[in-house]
Amino acid sequence: MDLKMKVNHLPALTYRFLKSNDSEIDAKDLYIENTKTPDPLDIPEGVSVKSDASEDDIRDIFAKVNAKIEAKKTDIPGPNGDTAPLNDAQTVRTGMGVEIDKLMNEMNVKSLVITSEEGRKVTEPVHIKYDLKDGDCTLGSQVIYAKKDSEITVIMEYDSEPEGKGFLGLQTRLLAEEGAKINLVKVQMLSEGFIHFDDIGSVCDDNASVDTINMQLGAGNTWGGNRTALLGDASTFDNHTGYLCRNKQSYDMNYVADQMGKKTQSNMIFRGVLLDEAVKTFRGTLDFKAGSAGSVGDEQEDTLLLSPDVINRTMPVILCGEEDVDGRHGASIGQLGDDTLFYMESRGIDEEAAKKLMIRARMESIARMIPDEAIIVRIQQFIRTII
Amino acid sequence: MSEQSLLQVRDLSASVEDLPILYNINLDIKAGETHVLMGPNGAGKSTLGYTLMGNPHYNVTSGQILFDGQDLTNESADKRAKAGMFLSFQNPLEVPGISLGSFIRNAYHEQTGKPVKLLQYKKQLGEAMELLTMDGEYADRDLNVGFSGGEKKKAEILQMLMLNPKLAILDETDSGLDVDAVRTVSKGIQEYQKKKDGALLIITHSTKILESLHVDYTHVLVKGHIVTTGDGSLVEEINEHGFEKYVRCEGCDGCSPLK
Amino acid sequence: MSENNKAVVDIDRSVYDIKDVENEQDFYRMEDGFTEDIVRKISEEKHDPEWMREFRLKSLKIYNELEMPDWGPDTDGLDMNLISSYVRSKSDMKGKWEDVPEDIKNTFERLGIPEAERESLAGVGAQYDSELVYHNVKDEVAAQGVVYTDMESALTGEYADMVHEYFMKLVPPTDHKYAALHGAVWSGGSFVYVPKGVKVDIPLQSYFRLNAAGAGQFEHTLIIVDEGADLHFIEGCSAPKYNVANLHAGCVELFVKKNARLRYSTIENWSKNMYNLNTKRALVEEGARMEWVSGSFGSHTSYLYPMTILKGDHSNMEYTGITFAGKGQNLDTGAKVIHQGKYTSSVISTKSISKSGGIGTYRSSVTINKEAKHAKTSVSCDSLMLDSISRADTIPGMDIRTNDADVGHEAKIGRISDEAVFYLMSRGLSEEDARALIVSGFANPVSKELPLEYAVEMNNLIKLEMSGG
Repeated sequence: MDLKMKVNHLPALTYRFLKSNDSEIDAKDLYIENTKTPDPLDIPEGVSVKSDASEDDIRDIFAKVNAKIEAKKTDIPGPNGDTAPLNDAQTVRTGMGVEIDKLMNEMNVKSLVITSEEGRKVTEPVHIKYDLKDGDCTLGSQVIYAKKDSEITVIMEYDSEPEGKGFLGLQTRLLAEEGAKINLVKVQMLSEGFIHFDDIGSVCDDNASVDTINMQLGAGNTWGGNRTALLGDASTFDNHTGYLCRNKQSYDMNYVADQMGKKTQSNMIFRGVLLDEAVKTFRGTLDFKAGSAGSVGDEQEDTLLLSPDVINRTMPVILCGEEDVDGRHGASIGQLGDDTLFYMESRGIDEEAAKKLMIRARMESIARMIPDEAIIVRIQQFIRTII
Repeated sequence: MSEQSLLQVRDLSASVEDLPILYNINLDIKAGETHVLMGPNGAGKSTLGYTLMGNPHYNVTSGQILFDGQDLTNESADKRAKAGMFLSFQNPLEVPGISLGSFIRNAYHEQTGKPVKLLQYKKQLGEAMELLTMDGEYADRDLNVGFSGGEKKKAEILQMLMLNPKLAILDETDSGLDVDAVRTVSKGIQEYQKKKDGALLIITHSTKILESLHVDYTHVLVKGHIVTTGDGSLVEEINEHGFEKYVRCEGCDGCSPLK
Repeated sequence: MSENNKAVVDIDRSVYDIKDVENEQDFYRMEDGFTEDIVRKISEEKHDPEWMREFRLKSLKIYNELEMPDWGPDTDGLDMNLISSYVRSKSDMKGKWEDVPEDIKNTFERLGIPEAERESLAGVGAQYDSELVYHNVKDEVAAQGVVYTDMESALTGEYADMVHEYFMKLVPPTDHKYAALHGAVWSGGSFVYVPKGVKVDIPLQSYFRLNAAGAGQFEHTLIIVDEGADLHFIEGCSAPKYNVANLHAGCVELFVKKNARLRYSTIENWSKNMYNLNTKRALVEEGARMEWVSGSFGSHTSYLYPMTILKGDHSNMEYTGITFAGKGQNLDTGAKVIHQGKYTSSVISTKSISKSGGIGTYRSSVTINKEAKHAKTSVSCDSLMLDSISRADTIPGMDIRTNDADVGHEAKIGRISDEAVFYLMSRGLSEEDARALIVSGFANPVSKELPLEYAVEMNNLIKLEMSGG
């Protein structure tokens, strides 16, 4: 099959010449053979796993929160160029949008549902690993469902044969019920012959939280979406993304914190490095809906540009329909600063070594948050092999 | 050759963004000597430190910097570091993602080109940290991230002890530290002095840090000129009388001092 | 204080709302809509040179082919078939204030225009509906070789070749739909030329007044500041409020030559039935500097993003702007900058305030091309929400194509802190005054960039908006 679809819509459109209002996935001759998510390596106590869930099953899981979302709608107009209506048909709004739902539906992809029991704080991670071979074309869908007052950690790792070519497209949807917490870690170390998308959509009810860590280190072209609806009061969303793009790699992302409840908190951090002819588009939106009184949101983007041929697009959006909020966005984009370089050099570390050190530092500062030593070591090794 | 100075600064003038800061500085530091550079605020003391280390913001407009027989005037900072020069910064860099321990190991590796023997390195690091009353966990913390002012200064002295340079330039290492921290930092400097041929250039505008250190020479820098040079007793004198007698008339940019 | 000046500083908005009844004998009004026939008539009416007539017709064709942008505020309330492209008084432009027709003069006097001229301006132009009714330059400024005239005179006069060379070269009709419309039906506006090395110490000012209901104003401003020269140009705009939509689709083209400096200040206070679809652009050569100071208070709907092209090495720009979106307003404003030369730098700093259901959008783009080595940019945008029925959106974009750039961006959204209001109230201010004072403080970085009289006017506009206007 051929894929041609528009994803990662900026929540509020802007000038067309910036070419960042959305992104097109255009991939030809894909033969999707596998749509089943691999079984978790082991299933800790307090966690249950169900495969082959239909979209109706998923709708049932999200029915309660979706009704609550519906009830919260107000008459306040959306932003100029509002793209939210495009994704109205989604079961759960995700970063990449409705086209992913359509694709999964068309390809009859069933979901793997991972559920944590009410009141159970499960510390041991659920580990899902994709080990892809040359030529593999895979779609997958997962739902992580943390019932009331439970906690669950899921680590998803994508590896492939070093020179392999292929496709991996995933959608992961999260529901954190009242007082629940979901930690989701995604580590992508595919070879450059892979096309990859990774779409996340979450809903947090009262006092719930979602904490995501994304390490994007491989694949030739990557699309990533991550949207969290902070539906409940005092719900929180934390995200840390680290990415390293080199050669002709591209990474196109769309992150949205949809702050609906009172006293919600979002905190999104992005640290990246662009080398060679890499292209990156970052969209990050804090969306304070009317009624989100007392909410705070913070987005920080820090990008190191290490080649004259990179392209860096950054769209840091703040939408606001509520008076009592505090939102901020900061971005710092550029090469190694003179002061940084001088300090490094004064310790005998020359420019080339300083660059490598800073690349590793950036990636490690995110990677080390992953609660699995073995993966951190694999990330370190992967980075060492590419720089 | 034992008489040859480790550092020879010859008629060095330097400017920042076309603004002259240093004028005809001459300085000779031999291996094992401890020199102190004093002067009022704004005299150009830190500029001298940065210029010696090769900060690209500071332009050498004339003169030479010879170190260990090499002309380093136009060399980049990493070459100077590899030659054995070290500068402790007033505001050292913060790097999230690289621990203090790993940074020093990297620097050591870059300077020597030799692989680091891990066990020996860890032992050495542990000892140095103990001397500086630094908690061992600091080695695993991100370089200077979330460190207090005192911890940053200690981390700089720690790097000096670990990298073991031929000449260490300490730029206001004592500023902003409480009495205990000054004492600790001073202990670290003494440890460095114990190594017979380690030379020091201590840049300071106060004298606290010098109390327990042996000082061979003292230079007074005023408005970009070294206006006088004496032995260790000059520190005492400045401690009592301040810089008044060395401070020259407003607007002076080069008349011969102290006539 | 004179009666005239008082009219400007008085916080009574009604001064802007005075409508002069245009009786038919004294005014010529083009039929509504935009057709080839109408464009030909305008061209004839204005005695265009041949090339300009062709240009207008070509622009109209482009206008009909282009679509409205999908990203901005809604323009459904604007029915182009109900807009008259051209309205003018039957009297000619005057060089002496006394000669301006009485009713028009009254309007301007109430707005304090001649007063301002006498006090602090090097020259004044006043446009009423589609044509300039008054133009005057101080003798000493004219003696320096500074040209300040209406566009129509410039088109046929001594500077005809220069106008031909520059007209809509920076903002071509293909740029967007309303630039094309402007190209087709433009009328009025000013032409300024400051010769090499001439520094104009006091500002030049143009004032635009759209009095006719259901009319469009399409003035064209072309300013060329030659090498090493220096100019401050101020434009003010106002219109009375009508129940039908009015349209402003002006175009400002600024050429800042090597080592020159241009400051362009605007206080926009169109009435709240205005669709303000204005285009402003500056081309900045080597070592030159462009400064924008922009206050947007009026209009029903605004699309306004002055663009600066930093073409020459070491050229730089600074944009300081404030937007106050009140009831019924959808103001989409910001700035665009393109770094092309090496060592170019840009600073964009904006404040926006939303209140009583107003929608304020800060929208910007910073483009740093691959050639623009050592470019530096810093963007900071602060928004203030004064209630929970309004919107304040921040939609900046950056496209960076060289690693040798230093890019900083900061955006903040917040509210007036209760503590600050409490503090001021504890010192005896009423809550309303306390909030107004805090908002004025928030706006201060912009008002301090304006000439005094304008800063006063801006503060009064803020007070007016704060008290519910």
